[in-house]
Amino acid sequence: MMDQIKRNIRAPGRTPWQREAVGFVLGLAVLALMPFVFADSYSRHILIMAFIYAIVASNWDLSLGYGGVFNFGHLALFGIGVYAYALLTKLAGLDPWLALAASGVVATLAAVLVTIPILRLKGIYIILVTFGFAQLVMQVIISQSEITGGTQGIVRIPGLYLFDHNMVRDGKIGYFGIALALLAASTIFLRVLVRSRTGASIVALRDNEEYAISRGVSLVRQRLITLAASAFFTGVAGAFYAAYQRNASIDVFGMSLATIVLSMVLLGGTGTIYGAIIASFVLTIFAEAMADFGAWRPMITAVLIIVVMLVYPSGLVGMLRAAWAGLTGRLKRPA
Amino acid sequence: MTPILTVEGVTAGYGRVTVLNDISLEAGRHGNVGFFGPNGHGKTTLLRVISGLLKPKAGRIVFDGEDITARSARAIVGAGLIHVPQGNRIFPDLTIADCLALGAYSARARPHEAENREKVVALFPKIAERWRQRVRTLSGGERQMVSIGTALMSHPRLLILDEPTLGLAPRIKDELCASVMDISKGGVPLIVVEQDIEFLLELSRQLYLINHGTVATEIKPGESIAHAEIMSMYFGQH
Amino acid sequence: MGALAEILFGGLFQGSLYAMMAVGLALVWTTIGVFNFSHGVFMMLGAYLAWQLVETGLHPAAAFPLAVLATAAVGWLLQAAVVRPLIGRANLVLVVVITTLAAGSLIENGVLTIWGPRSKQLPPLVDGNTMIGSIGVSLHQIAIIVVTPLILGALWMFLTRTRLGLALRAVAQNEDASQLVGLNVTALYGLAFAIAAALACLAGIFMGGYRFMSPVMGADPLLKALIVVVFGGISSISGPIFAAYLIGFFEAACSYYFGLYWTPALLFAVLILTLMVRPEGIFSSRGRGLA
Repeated sequence: MMDQIKRNIRAPGRTPWQREAVGFVLGLAVLALMPFVFADSYSRHILIMAFIYAIVASNWDLSLGYGGVFNFGHLALFGIGVYAYALLTKLAGLDPWLALAASGVVATLAAVLVTIPILRLKGIYIILVTFGFAQLVMQVIISQSEITGGTQGIVRIPGLYLFDHNMVRDGKIGYFGIALALLAASTIFLRVLVRSRTGASIVALRDNEEYAISRGVSLVRQRLITLAASAFFTGVAGAFYAAYQRNASIDVFGMSLATIVLSMVLLGGTGTIYGAIIASFVLTIFAEAMADFGAWRPMITAVLIIVVMLVYPSGLVGMLRAAWAGLTGRLKRPA
Repeated sequence: MTPILTVEGVTAGYGRVTVLNDISLEAGRHGNVGFFGPNGHGKTTLLRVISGLLKPKAGRIVFDGEDITARSARAIVGAGLIHVPQGNRIFPDLTIADCLALGAYSARARPHEAENREKVVALFPKIAERWRQRVRTLSGGERQMVSIGTALMSHPRLLILDEPTLGLAPRIKDELCASVMDISKGGVPLIVVEQDIEFLLELSRQLYLINHGTVATEIKPGESIAHAEIMSMYFGQH
Repeated sequence: MGALAEILFGGLFQGSLYAMMAVGLALVWTTIGVFNFSHGVFMMLGAYLAWQLVETGLHPAAAFPLAVLATAAVGWLLQAAVVRPLIGRANLVLVVVITTLAAGSLIENGVLTIWGPRSKQLPPLVDGNTMIGSIGVSLHQIAIIVVTPLILGALWMFLTRTRLGLALRAVAQNEDASQLVGLNVTALYGLAFAIAAALACLAGIFMGGYRFMSPVMGADPLLKALIVVVFGGISSISGPIFAAYLIGFFEAACSYYFGLYWTPALLFAVLILTLMVRPEGIFSSRGRGLA
């Protein structure tokens, strides 16, 4: 009987890390093999976009799902990564790979800057300030048009390079590999963080702020860590996007992109990391299927978000978990 | 007398937590009724089920012969079952005048607004002095008076008070007790939830000890019961 | 003297606009406790509905009130569809931000599909221009400056002198107690949203009369409204109204001395400072409540 009890007493949702690592490697392998299944440039492009979205969405899940902080300016961090890379490579002539890393740092610094005013604020104020921050960044970029190209954006941005590999005529496999590597790195980073003591204290703050503080968790420090951590790879993703597309525009600061990525986070189920990643794939493919729908695409996306929020707030992962539990009878608690 | 209210086999709770376990009781057959018992064992939940703020998972509530289990809180107020909740926040930024006017909002209560207002002022003269003051600026005792006064404006056929003397100084408690007695004498049947047993014993001859979401003991009128015995029930010697 | 007059007039005008934009947002926040991120879209929708009615031949004096009613109805529907079902959820504010954002996107693209992206213009409230001292102003602007306080005053009267307004104020302060007094909380929520939408529609009509309308015209006003509401205090309606005029004057002065260029940054700085120093806003007291 004790064994049965021991087996059932498991941190809820906590798979042992070895299992997770195995699953992770398997997933990675599957994705790595994709370009051999989908050999055409277009499919690979879709996958690359999905990876980029996955990085941004899963990092948003860190601050939103785990941290409980609705950083409405998360996409602005992505945009900052885009423009940081563009400016560093084009104006400062920095090596693209250095610029990539530096963009991550710049985004992190921006996140720290945003965190300072919201250090002790409550829910709705955080939303407002970060929203305002995002708008402000966009305004600044538009107004400094001599440097940033304003509403026209920046073109002919240097791309990334892989030794002597020809990145332009390889059917996008070079960029595919880099994108996948970045996604893997970001996910490992996030999962390690989430499973660490720091991660636990972040969640503790979210769930019961007063108690956590009374137990010695520093609100200020944890919030700073959460937002800064969520910013690095988001900025890197932005830089990669700029390198891949070879141009930068202020569209990345628009509401429509934010809505799409937010829906990926929500659809996947907040507080899981993997949920956001899966949802990114699903939605990117979904959006591509609807590419010709014009204005109907954002409308359908909007309806989707509303329906998910109303009916299934715990998103895909919640649905999957419930289905799994139903199949294995695991989640039955004693009455 | 037939009971004005019966609770039959009610099970209720919040989410997966069950608070009330198949609880049954009645009120009004022998005048006023009092509920007492340790905190967190369902007294407030029971009142919320009765007044329609919370729907039970099983069982029914019958008010004056009508099954009100599925009715909305609004409809129940319309039928004359008025619940004064615990704590006395009511409407912090409204004036006393506003609160009382609000009490008479329902269609049933509106025709009696003027006469009820006079009654309330007669009952709680302090209120008249502070007519245009906002509730948040009042003392605890005054706020409680406004809460009860607002309830009276709703022209109750049954008045339910949830811990009316909670957190009040002894002298204010006595004043409030006297006022509640007056309300009772005015013909309104009462259900009162209280920690103050003396208060309950003065008001009602029928008491229920509610423990673990169900009726642990019923003290019927005529059963004279020693205070010490109630205390021991209360603090659980069984 | 010319500078002062220009700033004063500009401030009054901007302030009136901001007040119209912000008061609906404040109303919903203080009543229901949620932020409606489709508020800007409602301004745009109102303008477009008014435009369509005018296009079909209706005189503005009839078209405008009809547009207001129609927009109010849409506001009611929005509340019933994406807000009411969520009441009682944890994270209500957050979820409603998301659903109203999505609903706003839906409406915005719907308008884009129906009316196309080309800019449109509404007839002004009053046609023509005049001179005040040495500055040229349009009668439309003067009309807005005059009409706004009247509308806000009417709203104030409604909230403080009528029974329905009292009910609305009560729901804002204590929902449970409101139910126990027999108020129809659902209907009151709908009413709050409908009134907010109607006010947004008016703001949209004001804007459409002096600048070009487009389906995305609601984004900037939403941000401004947010700034005003936060600055003015999100615990009452009167706070944001005063804040609106204050910010209007501030903006007019900024534009005059520093140019339109820096004004958004300065406004944002004001927002941040306010939140750091006094998160409840400049004009507020603790707790939520109307009026």
